[in-house]
Amino acid sequence: MSEREPPITYADWRQALEDDALLGLECRCGAVTATPKRACPACGSRELAARELPTTGTVDSETTIAVPPAGHDSGTVAVVDLGPARLLGRIDGAVEIGDRVVFAGARTADGEPAPVFEPEEN
Amino acid sequence: MTRATVVGAGMTEFGQHDRPLTELFADAAIPALADAGVGTDEIDALYFGNAMGGQTETDTHLAPAIGTHLGLGGVPCQRFEDACATSSTAFKQAVEAVEAGVHDTVLVGGVERCTPATGLDTAAMTEVFASATHRQYEQPTGLTFPGVFALFTKRHMHEYGTTEEQLAAVAVKNHRHGKANPYAHFGKDVTVEEVLEGPTVADPFRLLDCCPFSDGASAVVVTNPERAETVAGEPVAVAGVGHRTGTVPLAEKESLTATRPAREAATEAYDQAGVDPDAIDLAEVHDCFTGAEVLATEALGLIEDGRGGPAAAAGRTERGGEIPVNPSGGLKAKGHPIGATGTGQIAELTEQLRGAAGDRQVENATRGVAHNLGGDAATTVVTVMEAVA
Repeated sequence: MSEREPPITYADWRQALEDDALLGLECRCGAVTATPKRACPACGSRELAARELPTTGTVDSETTIAVPPAGHDSGTVAVVDLGPARLLGRIDGAVEIGDRVVFAGARTADGEPAPVFEPEEN
Repeated sequence: MTRATVVGAGMTEFGQHDRPLTELFADAAIPALADAGVGTDEIDALYFGNAMGGQTETDTHLAPAIGTHLGLGGVPCQRFEDACATSSTAFKQAVEAVEAGVHDTVLVGGVERCTPATGLDTAAMTEVFASATHRQYEQPTGLTFPGVFALFTKRHMHEYGTTEEQLAAVAVKNHRHGKANPYAHFGKDVTVEEVLEGPTVADPFRLLDCCPFSDGASAVVVTNPERAETVAGEPVAVAGVGHRTGTVPLAEKESLTATRPAREAATEAYDQAGVDPDAIDLAEVHDCFTGAEVLATEALGLIEDGRGGPAAAAGRTERGGEIPVNPSGGLKAKGHPIGATGTGQIAELTEQLRGAAGDRQVENATRGVAHNLGGDAATTVVTVMEAVA
C-alpha cells in the first residue's frame, strides 16, 4: 500500500518557527490546524496541504504561571486565535483576553522552541 | 442495567507515605479483598494503575511486582497509564472484561507517590506532571497543569462572569467536606478570604485553589452480579461507564470551557444506566483545581452551563445541598495521588451507596456519579453507580 508522505512534520514546523514563520496544515474540508498531524482533526482526511498561518491573532485565554516546571521561568502563556486556527504560545508582555497579539519568533527553554507573541502596537 | 458489581473497596489515607509502591498498594488492596470477602485465589486478574512511577521513583513494569507481592499467582496482571484518569480506565476495562465473561472477578486499583517523600521538590514534580501536556506543542512554553486549568477557567470567567470568590467557595466547601473523611489528606475550615490571600500558582488559581501533591492507593473488587450474590461484601452496581477522548494540544479543542469528552462520557454513562442527571444523588468529580469542579458540574449536567460558580457559592453543591459534589473532599482536600484517584472515587461511591460513609454520608444516596479526567481533560471517564436494593 502506498501512502502519501506527510506534508509537514514536527521538524518542518520547528524549522519554520526558528525561521520566524508559523506553519500549519489545511484540509480539503477547509479545516486548518496549527500543528502537524497525519490526518485532519475535523474530518479524518489525510488530504492535507501545508500552509503558512497568520502572524497576528487574538488572545482567547491567558494565564501567568508563577510556579514553573524545572527548566522554565515563570511567565505568561496564552491560547492565541490566529483566525483559521488556534495555537498555544508564550507571551512577552502583559495581555488580557481579547487583546491583539503579534508573532515575535521562537523562545527556546529546555531544548525545544515555543512560539512567542507580544502585544500588537496600536 | 447492571454491567458489573463492586463488592469490595479499600483505600489508604491519602497524604504522605514513605514506603514502596508495592507495600502502599497492598495497604489498599488487602482491605478491598477483605471487604469483599474474596480470597486472592478467587481473583482472575489485576488491572493496576500507576501513572508516573517510572519518572518519580525509577519503577516500571509494576504489575508483576504487585501481583507477586499480593500472592496472585500467575493470573494476568497489567498496568494502565492515562495520566490522572489512570485507574478509571483500568476500572472501565475491568467492568468490560467481567461483563463480557472474560474474567469473573478482577482486582482493580492504583497507587502513586507525589509528595517530597519521593525526593522530588515542587519544581521537579511540576515538571513530571507537565509531561502529560503535549511534548512538542505545549511543554516548550513552560505550561503546567495549574496553567492548563487556569486557561480553561479564565475563559469561563470571561464568558460567564465566574468570579475568584466563587472559585474560592469550591475550595472552602471541599476542605469542609474533607474534615469528615478519615482518608483525606486535608480537612480544615478555611474562609474565602484565606483562599484569596494565598500565593498565586497560575492566575486565577492561588495555593488553596489547587489540589495537593499526595501519596496513596485505592482498590476495588469487581465481579459479575451472579457472583456478587455469593460473596460477603455488600454489592454496589456499576450501571454505566462512559469514556471519551478529546483533542490535544488544548489550543485546538473546539471549546476551552465545555470539556467535550466529559459531556460525551456522561451522556454515554447516563444512557447505559437509563437515567438523567436529575436522578443523581451525589457526585465525585475531578476538582484538581477549583475551576475544574465548576467545569465538571456543568459538563455532567448537574448545574446549568455557566452557573457552576454561583452554584458553589450558593451552597447548591454542599453535602446536604441540592446536589452534593465531592462529599469526600474531592481531590482538593481528600488528595490526588494520580494513579489512585480514579478508583478512590469508586471506593467513595461504594461507601456512600452502602450508606457506610459515616460522618460524610449523603442522606438517601441511591445513585452516584464519578468523573475522573486525565491531562487537559482529553481523557475523561464517567461512571454511574447504584445501590443494590
